[in-house]
Amino acid sequence: MLWFLRGLRKGVVTSHYPARPDPSTDGLPSPPAFRSDLLTAELADRLAAACPSGALRRDGADLVLDLGACTGCGRCNEVGGRAVAPSGAFELAARDRTTLLKRIPIGAGR
Amino acid sequence: MSEEQRVAAELRKRAFALFRRSLHIRTVDTGSCAVCESEIRLLSSPYYDLHRLGFFFTPAPRHADLLLVSGPAVRAFDPALLKTLEAIPDPRIVVAVGACALGGVFGEDELVHGSVDAVVPVDVYVPGCPPSPLALLHGLLVAVGRLEEKVHALRFDLREEAKA
Repeated sequence: MLWFLRGLRKGVVTSHYPARPDPSTDGLPSPPAFRSDLLTAELADRLAAACPSGALRRDGADLVLDLGACTGCGRCNEVGGRAVAPSGAFELAARDRTTLLKRIPIGAGR
Repeated sequence: MSEEQRVAAELRKRAFALFRRSLHIRTVDTGSCAVCESEIRLLSSPYYDLHRLGFFFTPAPRHADLLLVSGPAVRAFDPALLKTLEAIPDPRIVVAVGACALGGVFGEDELVHGSVDAVVPVDVYVPGCPPSPLALLHGLLVAVGRLEEKVHALRFDLREEAKA
């Protein structure tokens, strides 16, 4: 078969990001997101202990997630059960390092 | 925001606007495991094709506008990193790539600084281990001001998202 016909039939495969969303990041490892109503201080400490890169720590009544340090390994997901799920977020670039520190209130709304 | 900071932000915005559709990138690996490099290389693949945005990789720092640094800033690499930075003409942008460069993997000791901003001033941080090519592309577009930061608005709290 003529090779260029194969190319024409496939059309343009190049991503249209950022003009259009791109499906290629779906399902990639991503930082965790938390159900703050299911978090307890004890669970937060266990999550912090399970995190190999020190991205999670408990600061009083908050769980602090350092997106810069997170490697998306998913160990908090295994420990946390229903309280933790992958966020799927990838557009995380920040001008200020402190923007990457996220505080999640423990046991909010109870 | 003080008057000085406002003027600096305005100046930076105008300088970086020069790069919006023509940006030459020099990459430096300060001791990373090479997965960040693998993702950076993927940017020039036909699928991501960063040339469509006017971005190019260059092997010469003197031709570069942006320094893309990965790895935990190994101390032995300081002279090379600083020389590269000095060789890039002003105005220049420094982007730190990956969890190592942002201080997540290695602590500070006699071999590594542990994060890139201990050695060079960083303008944009791109988290991820490794950041996917689209995350890198987003970081580059944020660096030149073509996209806004999105991480401000993210709460990483599923309960709030369920409510909203």
